[in-house]
Amino acid sequence: MPQPYDGPRRIRSMKPSGEKTFYRWTRDLHLYLGLLVSPFVIAFAVSVLFLNHAKVDTSAATSVTTVRDVRIPAALETARGREAADRAREIVDQVGITGEIGFVRYIRKQQRFVIPVSTPGLETIIDVDVPSRTAVVSRREMGLLESVGYLHKRRGPHNADLRGNWFWTRVWRWLADGTVYLLLFISATGLYLWFAIKSERRIGFALLGVGAVSFFGLLYGLAF
Amino acid sequence: MASPSDRGRRPGPILEVWNRRVHYYLGLYFLLFVWLFSFTGLLLNHPRWALSRIPNEPSTSFERSIESPSGDTDLVRATDVARQLRVRGEIEWPQAPQAPGRLDFNIVYPKRATQVRVDLTRNRVTVQQIDRSVWSALRISHTFSGSRYNSPGTSRDWLLTSVWVVAMDALAVGSLVMVIGSYYMWYRLKSKRTLGWIALTAGFLSCGLFVFGLASRG
Repeated sequence: MPQPYDGPRRIRSMKPSGEKTFYRWTRDLHLYLGLLVSPFVIAFAVSVLFLNHAKVDTSAATSVTTVRDVRIPAALETARGREAADRAREIVDQVGITGEIGFVRYIRKQQRFVIPVSTPGLETIIDVDVPSRTAVVSRREMGLLESVGYLHKRRGPHNADLRGNWFWTRVWRWLADGTVYLLLFISATGLYLWFAIKSERRIGFALLGVGAVSFFGLLYGLAF
Repeated sequence: MASPSDRGRRPGPILEVWNRRVHYYLGLYFLLFVWLFSFTGLLLNHPRWALSRIPNEPSTSFERSIESPSGDTDLVRATDVARQLRVRGEIEWPQAPQAPGRLDFNIVYPKRATQVRVDLTRNRVTVQQIDRSVWSALRISHTFSGSRYNSPGTSRDWLLTSVWVVAMDALAVGSLVMVIGSYYMWYRLKSKRTLGWIALTAGFLSCGLFVFGLASRG
C-alpha cells in the first residue's frame, strides 16, 4: 500500500545531527535549484520534440524591404570569420536589424554580400549590392516552437570563430551551461535523496539497471 | 475520523505517493541519458574545447564493382548499394540533384561516415570512410536524428535512428513529467512556497526573455 510522504520521519531516523543537516540542505537545494532550472528543462525538452519531428519551410520570407545608400565597410570582402561578422555589423545596424551574424558570403562576380542575421523568433537575410549600395532585407518570422528549437541549437559545432558575436547569444551560452551544471547537480542530489529511502532501494537499483542496459544497448549500435 | 488505512486508499495520498515515485523512478531510469546529453551539450556549447573536436580524417578510398542497383527510387537503389557494400547507417543525400548515370550519397551513423559514389553506367562504386572515436561518436549522437526541421526532404530511413529518436523523445517527455510532478510536490510543502516562487519566477523570467522577449528586438 502506498505510504504518505515520510520526509520528516526519515530525518528523525538519521542519527548524527550532521547527517540530518546534510540531508535537509541537499533536499532544499534539490528543490529550489530544480525550480530555478525547470523552465529551461521545459524549453529544451519541448524543442527536442520539435527538432526531431517538425518540418518548416524556411524559404518563404514574411517581409522584404529595400534600404538605399548603405555605407559599405572597408575591406569587408577580404575579412574572414569573426572579423567579417564585426565589419558586417555596420551594415546590419544601418538596416535596423540586430542579432547574431552568421557566415558572411561575398559573391565576387556579382559584387554582392549576403549576411544572415538571426534572433530567437526572426531570421533575416541582408543581400547587399555593392555598386548600387542597396540592401534587400528579407525577414522570416519563426513560430514559438521554432524559436525554442533555435535556442536549443544556438551554439553548435560549426563556425566556432564566428559564434557569440551578439551579446544575447553569449548570455544564452552562459545560461545553457548553467542549465547543464544544475542538471548534473540535481541528478547527483536526486541519487542521494533516493538512496536515503531504504524501502525504494531495490526497485531503484532495478530501474538504474534497466536504464543502463537500454542506454548501453543503444550506444553500442551507434558508437561502436 | 478516517483511519490511516482509509487515508491511504483516498485518491489524494495515492496520487501524492505515486507522483513522488514516478519522479525518482523516471530520474533513475533516465540518469545515464541525462548525463550523456548534459556532457555532450557542454561540448557542443564549447566547440573550441579540445574534447569537442571531431577529427575528420578519411581513410584511403577504394573502388569495387557492384551488381546493378535495383529499385524504383534513388532511396531503394541506395539501400541496395549499402546492402551490397555491407555498410549500415542513415542515408543522406547531397544538396545538388543527381547527375545522369550517377548515384551519390553518404551513409552515416555517429561512429562512421561513408561516402558512396556510384557510376551506374559501369556499375562501379567508389567508397571513402571516416571512422570516429567512441568519444566523437558520443558527441555526434546528441544531434543524430536523421532529420532536419529546415530540410523538408530529409527523413529517417534506418531503424536504429528511429529507435534513438524514440529514446530522445522519451527522455524529453520523461523530463516534462518530472518537472510537472515536481511543481505539485513543491506546492504541497507550504513552508517552501515563498522561496520556491522566487526561484521559479527567476527561472521563467530569464528563460522567457529569450523565448519571447528577444523576438521583438529583430
